[in-house]
Amino acid sequence: MKKNKYLLLISSLGVFALLVYAAVSENFFKEWHSIQAGAKTSEGPLDVRLRQIINPSLGTTDRCVTCHIGMAPGETVVSDLKVAAPHPPVVHSPTEMGCTTCHSGQGLATEKLDAHGDVEFWPEPMLSAKYAYASCGTCHVPLEVPNSARLELARKTFERLDCYACHRLDGRGGTLRPSPSTGMEGPDLSHTGIKGFDANWYPAHLAKKEADTSGLWANSFGEVNDADRALLDQFLGLQMGAPLLIRAKAEYNSVGCTGCHVTGNFGGETGVDLSRVGEKDPNRLDYSAVEGEHTYQNWIAQHFRLPLSTVQGSQMPDLALSEPQIDLLTMYVLSLRRRSVPDIWLPKDRVRAMRFGAREFASDGETIFKAVCSSCHGADGKGVRYPGLPPYPSITNTEFLELASDDFIAATIKGGRPGRPMLAWGDRQNGFTAEEISAVVAYIRAIGGGIVPIPDTRPARWAAGDAKAGNRLFLANCAGCHGSMGEGGEGPALNNPGLLNAATDTFLFETIARGRSGTVMKGFRIPSPTRRALTDREIESVVTYLRSLGAKQKRPGG
Amino acid sequence: MEKAESSALKEIWGNLVASPRRIYEAAFRSGAPKTDRTRSSFVFGNVFLHLHSVRTHIWSLKWSTTMGLGIISTAAFLITLVTGILLMFYYKPYPDVAYQSMKDIHFVVPTGRFIRNIHRWAANVMVVAVILHMARTFFTASYRKPREFNWLIGWGLLVTTLALSFTGYLLPWDQLAYWAITIGANIAQSPREITDALGITQYFDIGGLQRTILLGSDEVGAEALIRFYLLHVMILPLILVMLMAVHFWRIRKDGGIARPDDADEIVGNEAKSSYPVFTEQPEKTYHLAAIVKGRTPAVGSGPENTLPSMPHLFYAELGVLMLTTLICLALALISDAPLKEIANPLVPENPAKAPWYFLGLQEIVSFSAFTGGIGIPALVWIGLGLIPFLDREKEGTGRWLGGPGGRNLFLWSLLIGFGASVGIEAFAIYFGWLREWFPDIPQLAITVINPGTVLTAIYAAYSIYVVRKYGSTRAGAVALFTCFLCGFIVLTVVGTYFRGPNWEFYWTPSDWPGH
Repeated sequence: MKKNKYLLLISSLGVFALLVYAAVSENFFKEWHSIQAGAKTSEGPLDVRLRQIINPSLGTTDRCVTCHIGMAPGETVVSDLKVAAPHPPVVHSPTEMGCTTCHSGQGLATEKLDAHGDVEFWPEPMLSAKYAYASCGTCHVPLEVPNSARLELARKTFERLDCYACHRLDGRGGTLRPSPSTGMEGPDLSHTGIKGFDANWYPAHLAKKEADTSGLWANSFGEVNDADRALLDQFLGLQMGAPLLIRAKAEYNSVGCTGCHVTGNFGGETGVDLSRVGEKDPNRLDYSAVEGEHTYQNWIAQHFRLPLSTVQGSQMPDLALSEPQIDLLTMYVLSLRRRSVPDIWLPKDRVRAMRFGAREFASDGETIFKAVCSSCHGADGKGVRYPGLPPYPSITNTEFLELASDDFIAATIKGGRPGRPMLAWGDRQNGFTAEEISAVVAYIRAIGGGIVPIPDTRPARWAAGDAKAGNRLFLANCAGCHGSMGEGGEGPALNNPGLLNAATDTFLFETIARGRSGTVMKGFRIPSPTRRALTDREIESVVTYLRSLGAKQKRPGG
Repeated sequence: MEKAESSALKEIWGNLVASPRRIYEAAFRSGAPKTDRTRSSFVFGNVFLHLHSVRTHIWSLKWSTTMGLGIISTAAFLITLVTGILLMFYYKPYPDVAYQSMKDIHFVVPTGRFIRNIHRWAANVMVVAVILHMARTFFTASYRKPREFNWLIGWGLLVTTLALSFTGYLLPWDQLAYWAITIGANIAQSPREITDALGITQYFDIGGLQRTILLGSDEVGAEALIRFYLLHVMILPLILVMLMAVHFWRIRKDGGIARPDDADEIVGNEAKSSYPVFTEQPEKTYHLAAIVKGRTPAVGSGPENTLPSMPHLFYAELGVLMLTTLICLALALISDAPLKEIANPLVPENPAKAPWYFLGLQEIVSFSAFTGGIGIPALVWIGLGLIPFLDREKEGTGRWLGGPGGRNLFLWSLLIGFGASVGIEAFAIYFGWLREWFPDIPQLAITVINPGTVLTAIYAAYSIYVVRKYGSTRAGAVALFTCFLCGFIVLTVVGTYFRGPNWEFYWTPSDWPGH
């Protein structure tokens, strides 16, 4: 029975050995131990212990500073180790806000892989340095961001007028000192969008130039015209220390995303609500179509390249975006992480967006058109045809702009086409105001070549043709594209109450007669090789028939 | 007076000096356990050790007799007890806070991760060891008279062990825990399949009641967590300890480990060659032991082929205890206990899997909730409890695969047990089942005819055939038990490794969509 004795001896020794190993590795083999042991303070060796930043109201417990010891509150660490370096100066104090509020990752962890969130079961990996500013979106909502062309124009204006000479912006400029006696350069403009700026800066500048005797002001400041000043004001309102994020949002406001997607308080419902899409758990995504690393950013980028093959059943069309565009849009999508944060941490911009319905895109006609309309009607308004989807109509062809009154276009924008992809952009929560709609109408006319409508002197309803004959003609000539009941197909729906309410008989008549240049809709007053021309009487009958389609339906609101 | 005072003080001093020796004497009243006799009285006089008889038959000490499985189970329990108490210092049983405390234990608490890993592994070792221990007892026919009652206690211990493991599963409050418990609670709700089919759920919702009692709410939430916590750290351990005490006590009362009648001849005179041998006549007779009813060890039958429990049995027991500890420590160092994302009721795990020992049931539940959740488990529990009362035979007691049929019957049963379960699974996976062929079929029909019931029927038919062939209940029991063990293993393996999202069959997790 000696084997029991040996069993006891050997397994006890084994247990002892494993316990010793566990104790040693617990106390000596941890990475953060060696990092802290290798770092020094100005007063001598560092106290090796766990460090953390706790912010109960934000719900953060961040032990990142256990390794990133140079960022630990109250530590002045001297070390050659990159990991122990102090935090670069930023607006928000890491000591107060913690690390994961901006960087994501797993604050509770004390090992690199876990802490950086690059593990299987942590839904918020760290944002890569490239997209670090996306994290501003956790709390902030940049407001009234124009489209990228206008943003670029504003930035160039700021540069052209050499505001950098006296002012600093995002760490650039501010080299010229206007007054040797005071030695002050102009104020730093990096956060004017958050902290605000003097709306009377221009008269104030002028007054200083008048009063200045040294000549510095006279040399460095000149008159600025109204258009440039408007651009500068807009530019200053956007400065929040995150220029790349603003550029990303400007790109978002340039390719018509809002036409289908809601972010925050406004957007179309055709696509999914994107307000918190940046928080998606990267471990739960399908990467079968994604090349390279399985990160959320790569997934988003691939989704922009090939929506349907990345997300099964996606209705998002391929927008044929360029890689730089995709990069910016990826950044913006990553920034859509509007976590609920306690009221005391809500920045003003977020409050304005949440509680007062402030616009996230600028309200000029161009930006609204590009942010909302352009994905369907095209940046030039000539309509878009996406594979597998019916074509979206052109709204900048000569015939349309001549026939459609401003009121007609405005009514269409406001009330939309019920049941069609064209949503009611005015009649909705936080919808467009009359001023915004007329700005869009003006912009549509502008890109259409400045065509003004032909005055229509006839009454709205004058057509008195033969509806039965009109029906026959419609089936023979129109039904192929517009559907046998005018329900739409290749061409737009004609039985839509939105259209029939807004369109005058003259609009319908002339549209049939003249067609729409640049589209497959040809004028029926002119013969083609496949059909004869229609007489005015016949066209009138078709219009009468179209009216009868409207009578069969209940008018919205009436 | 002065002299008297000083002598009293002297006496106190003398007593103080003598107190260490006297404390020792008070503890070891029969002197240092250095001879067989003092060792015996030490064992008999110690509240913990006297669960053992003072002498142990050499048959019981053979490794092949028990394979130490009972001690492994006990050792695993002791390890979970110690590590569990340590974990309780940091664990906070409230949703979300619980998860954060798990992260703290993992990352910050000194050796917290190690302790938790040991706890997790010891719990799994315990489940496996308890099942194997039951199998050992069955295959050596050790449940027979007079040990029927202890078999029933063991049956209760198996249930308690599974309940302990299951309640512990929820505590980390991660996705794995949350959805495993959701599945578990749904299994508890499975009588609804019958009540729904009969249309009486609104009057008699026993399934919903079971689920509500289990969770304390409609969903897995704070109520369920505190409930599971209380069960896990207090109620179930107390039940387990009580049952264990009875279980151990009954071993002694029932005459030690079951052994064949010819055990003495088989082991020969090995006891004589072992040290320390029985060299002294007992100084006293064990009056108390002598009047205890039933068979008692050592008394009356003489000391042949028995060894003093101290040290021989204790070496074995401590050896197995340390070996179990060693295994748990090694596993804990090699592999971390899982901790997924924080529980999120809005994001179901797909597949959501119950703890592994319930995956066999979940596999059947995927066909019919009632069959997997209530029908087959109830059948198994009742069948296991009845075994010692149906098998009243004598042949083969205490011998591995003893009784009619022997090894051949066992091998045949293995073949049929594995063959039938693999066959029916493969059939259901490749050809589907009734629902796929007749989409409008009433659920009651599937409750009656599904892979689980078909498999049970095959096993039952085979056992009846065996009973008739050998003319022995024991033979039928061996066949049925072996078959069910095989079915349990096959279904558990399928559920664990070959089921992916939507409980579809996949050869490997790398074939799962989206990977």
